[in-house]
Order: sequence, then C-alpha cells, then structure tokens
Amino acid sequence: MEKISKLKKRRVLKGWGISLTYLGYSAIFWGYPFIWLVILTFSKWRYAGSPKFTGIDNILRVLSDELFWKTFLNTLNFMLYYIPMVLILSLLFAVALSKIKYMKSFIVLSFLVANISSGVAYSILFSKLFAENGPLNQTLYKAFGVTVPWFTNPQFAMLSIAIIVVWKFIGYYGLILYAGVQAIPKSVYEAAELDGAGKLTRFFKITIPLINPSLVMVTVMAITLAFGIFTEPYMITGGGPMRSTLSPMMLMYTTAFQKLDPTYSATMSIFVALMSFTIVFVFRKLFEREVNFQ
Amino acid sequence: MKKLLLSLIFILSIAGFSATKLVLWTAPNPQDEMFWKEVLTEWKKYRPDIEISWTTIPAAGSSEEAILSAIASGRTPDICGNIFAGFAAQLVEIDQIIELNKMPDYDKLIQNRTMKTIMEGWKLNGKNYVIPIYSNPILMWWRIDVLKKIGYSEPPRTYSELYELSKKFVVPKEKYAIRVIQGRNWWDRWYDYITYYYAASEGKPYIDTKKSKALFGSDAGKQVTEFISYMFKNNLTALELGTAPLYTGSLLGSLQGPWEIPYAENQFPDILKNIVITPPLVPDSYPKDKPVYTFADTKGIVIFKSSKHQKESWEFVKWVLSNEQFDKRFLEITKMPPAREDLMENPIFKDFFTRNPLSAEYAKYVKYAVPPALITKTVEVQDEMTVSLVEPLMYGTKAPQAALDEAVKKINKIIW
Repeated sequence: MEKISKLKKRRVLKGWGISLTYLGYSAIFWGYPFIWLVILTFSKWRYAGSPKFTGIDNILRVLSDELFWKTFLNTLNFMLYYIPMVLILSLLFAVALSKIKYMKSFIVLSFLVANISSGVAYSILFSKLFAENGPLNQTLYKAFGVTVPWFTNPQFAMLSIAIIVVWKFIGYYGLILYAGVQAIPKSVYEAAELDGAGKLTRFFKITIPLINPSLVMVTVMAITLAFGIFTEPYMITGGGPMRSTLSPMMLMYTTAFQKLDPTYSATMSIFVALMSFTIVFVFRKLFEREVNFQ
Repeated sequence: MKKLLLSLIFILSIAGFSATKLVLWTAPNPQDEMFWKEVLTEWKKYRPDIEISWTTIPAAGSSEEAILSAIASGRTPDICGNIFAGFAAQLVEIDQIIELNKMPDYDKLIQNRTMKTIMEGWKLNGKNYVIPIYSNPILMWWRIDVLKKIGYSEPPRTYSELYELSKKFVVPKEKYAIRVIQGRNWWDRWYDYITYYYAASEGKPYIDTKKSKALFGSDAGKQVTEFISYMFKNNLTALELGTAPLYTGSLLGSLQGPWEIPYAENQFPDILKNIVITPPLVPDSYPKDKPVYTFADTKGIVIFKSSKHQKESWEFVKWVLSNEQFDKRFLEITKMPPAREDLMENPIFKDFFTRNPLSAEYAKYVKYAVPPALITKTVEVQDEMTVSLVEPLMYGTKAPQAALDEAVKKINKIIW
C-alpha cells in the first residue's frame, strides 16, 4: 500500500516537473502581461509615473468610440472575403496534395515559403504589383481596356488585402487539412464506392464531415488571425481608403505609441479579445462535430 | 611594491567610479551612425572625464515607440536625437524633457549657429525644448529632359502653368504630370497638403497653437484644396504611380526631400543629371518676386528630465552644435542641410555646395522651410486631414470647399 502511494507521489512530482516549464513560461509571458492589461484597462497612464485608477472610464469610451467599432466592422468585412477564400483554396490544396505521388515535399515547401516570408517584404511587393499603373493593371488595360482599383476602392482594398493574406496561409492551412484527409481510413471510401457513391458524393459525404476537426481548427485560426492583421494594411493601404482597411491592431498601435494613450489601447485590446473569443465560441458550438472512424 | 599596487588600484577605481557617464541615443540609420561615431571620437579627446555610452535608438516599430517604452521602464537616455516637433510637444506634455533655453550660453549657441529664426518655429508656449540638428526643405524635382521634349525649357511655377503643360504629357494609366498626394498615412500630409499650404500662404501656420484653432481654411488653404481636386478630377495625377515613376519617365515631377539625392546618385545617376529642383508650385496669384516657403522635415536633440547629469548633457549638446566642422561633416555624410541659416554664406560649406549643386538648392531654402505645428495631437489632426480632406478630393466624393470646411471643423474639435 505504502509502495503504491510512493509511486503515485513520484508520478505526481514528475508530472509537475514536466509541466512547470510551460506553467512558468505562461506565467511570465502570458499571465503577467495579462494582469497588467487588466490593470491598465481601469487606469489612466501615459508611460511616465504610476497608473491612476479611473474606474470604467476607458470601457465607456470604447463603447462610444465610432472609430473602434468601424475597425470591428472592417474585421467582419475582411472575414467575409478571407475565410471562404482560404478554406476553399487550402482544401483544394490538401485534396490535390493527397492525389500527388511525386515531388510532394517540394510542392509543400513551395507553398510554405509564403508563410515564412517577411510581411514587410511581400507587402511592398504586392503594393507594386497591384498599383494603379502597376504590371497587373497595365496588362488588364492593354488586354481589356479596364483597370481594377485594387487599393483605391474601399471594397477592393479589403479584398486585395484578403487575397494577400490568403496567399500567405494556403500552404499552412492546407497542410493541416491534408493531415485530416490522410487520417481518413481508405476502407471508408472503398465501402462507399461499393455502395455506388460517386466522386462528389464521397467528397461531400465522407471527406468534408470526417475532416471536421481540421476544418474547425483552421477556421478558428483564421478568425483569430482576422482580428490580428496589421502588417499588410499598415504597409499597403495605411488603413485607407476612407478608413476601410483600418484594423483594430492598427488603431491600438497608433493609440498606444503615436497618440500616447496606452491605457485606452489596452482597453480596446480586451474588447477585441472578447469579440474574437465570442465569435470562435459561437462558431464551434454551431459547426464542431465529434468524429469517429469506428 | 604591494602598497604601491594597492594604491594604484584604489586610485584607478576612484577615477573609474567618478567618471560621469551619459547615455546618448541617435537615429538608427547608417549615415547618422557614421556621423556620431566621428563626433564621439573627438569628444573622447576633448572630455575624457565625461564618458558617453552611445547607441542608436533601439529597434522597435518606430523611434517614438522605443523612447516611450524606455520612459515606461525608467531607462530613458540622457540625450536623444531624431525627435520631431509633434513628438517633442507630447514629451513636454508628459513632462519628460528639459527646457533648453534656460541652460547657460543657450543664446550664444543659437547666435553662433545662426538659427534664431529657425528656433522661432520650434517654440512651445514661448519655450524651446528641442534644438534641431537638420532641416530638410521639401522641394520639387522635375525631369527637364522630358519637359524639353514637350516644348518647355523650364519647369512650371504656378498651378495653371502645370495644368497647361500636363495636357501635352499625360496619358491616363501610363503617364501623369506630378505626384500630388504622397500616400494615406498621417505623416504623408507633411509632404503634400502642408507643403503646398506653406508655399501658398508664405509660410503661415496651419494651426494657431495659442488659440488651438485650424487656420488652413483661409484663401491659401482653399487654393491648395482646389488644386488637388483639379489634378485628380482631370486625371493629371494618381495615388499609386508604380515603382520610381520619376526616373522611368512616367512622371514629370514630384516633391522630394534631400535624402533622395544619395538614392538617385546610386540608382539613377544618369537621370539625376536631368533633374531640376524648384520650390513647390504656387497659386497663379502668387507674386513672382516673393520667396516661396515650404515644409521643413526637421528633427532635433533633447535632454531628458530623468537625466542625473543635465549639466554635462547640455555641455555635450552645446559642444556638438557649436562646432561648424561637425555641421560640415553632417552635410557631407548625410546630404541633409544642418539647421542653420548661413549655409549659403558661410565659406566652410562653399566647397561642398559647389561640388553638389542639387544639395545647394536645398540649402537655399532652409531659411524658408517651416517646421510642422508643435501640437500634441499631430497624428489625430493629420489623420483627420487625410479622411475629411485629402481622400474626398482624391475620390471626388466632395466639393473642395465642403471638404475643406468639414476638415477645419473636425480638426478644431480635435485640438480644442
């Protein structure tokens, strides 16, 4: 009996020992800043001196701040373009990858290059490519006599930014979906084929439902990413035209470091986190299914 | 022997501890670094008792971000360069920098560096907290070879002259007259609307800092607004013009700072020979014989209140700025004119300007270059200028007068 209890104690200690690194890391790099963020939300502080308690002033300010809510609507607008595009294209990438026999690693690496490229570098590249008289528009003009206002029309600007972010993430999300596709046992497809299911039926009735966990994961990642975009609008459109691509991150950044109002910026970040969590929560409730291959 | 060694160690350690140590931050770019390296080598010889620990402003999103983080964590330097007027006003508001005009020999320094008029533009509530190191006038670059091809021997001076010659050159989607609007970031307004406003108004302020009131609703502001509107409405300009349009010949002219000279020397040396520099365009009614004012992209040096060695810091600042040789070296290394009014008269700079005629054009306008308004809400004001004034003109969504009225109204609300 005593031996068992000793063993149990040792296992508990071992467990704590292993978890401690992660817990320590989280406490320093997540817990500590988060506590500060909450303190700042209820204070007024401008870098010098100590924060002064101001109650819910900052919260009331956010609630009535038109500009902040404009950035929230901009994020929803971005999601409207980004999520369908990135899901369809990365799913196509995953399905295509599962059919390919040769040079698989090369293709995966080629797509992943976009994901690890510097945001500043590719933003400059795309801004030149999509410029009003850039190569893309010049080709369009010569061929069809029309040009597309990629970054100068409010809706096109958001679409263009979504296209750039999609380009960056196809490889990454596609790889997650590919892992999901690979996990589906071949026997399920074989059984369906014997029952006379066609290619489309197999895709929609087997592949899509069975990769639900991967699809949900990718969508959750896409939602959180939508609330965090910064480099692309900051570098390419500067938040315009007419503040149509101004993201919450950009607003928080300028508020904290250019308007010298870090406490208000902290409050906005809490709101953004809450909104992103809410959307993720609702999405999971609606679409997440338990998948069992048995 | 042992005693001697011990006393030597004792003396050395006392000397080591007693040396004053100052922390200096400067702009993070190679040219600035080269300049400050030379300055500090000289300082070591001049005052070995005051040690200076010099670094560039730490890597961050911007210099302002790095400095604010330093304030928050109590690690501000003693002296810091690369401070623009709006940020200086914010630092004064949060009581972080010292009043330099109270320091000993301040007047003498300003007189010796011939910057009396320049310092007027840097006054905040009648006090001076920053001394500008350089002042970059924003001027117009023209492709004279392209102008000659369409039958003009000199660049246009007024709006109407530009409209007329544009008709012979502009091909929409291919070639445009000039770049009127630089971008939609808040700082872009310095290099378009505010520059044109200073040119049209003989350098009058666009914000009354004492009465907290926008002044660009005046006639000059209206003329600039109509000019921008006309250019966009008639497709004589566009916001995005592709890569290096001035050098590829798809643009006749563009407003530029002197930092463009070293870039063009490296990238487009042949085209640089065909560049002619003029002041910004002015309204048709602007008298020919009057000097044209422009915007000054200027940054200065400050001393932080948290410094334990304010006296020594001031001594260093005074020493650097009093030495004409340093100004000469700064000009040679960075090609940016030092903020002094005697650039064209002082023989020390003569040789440089003879060898660099384009830089000389910039030097001529230092005395007509006006810094931005010293207000704490620079970002908010210029962002509003973008949204309420410049963008409606670009997209033609509002009449010029209506856009101007709304911008003035909203900016008054911000600064009130």
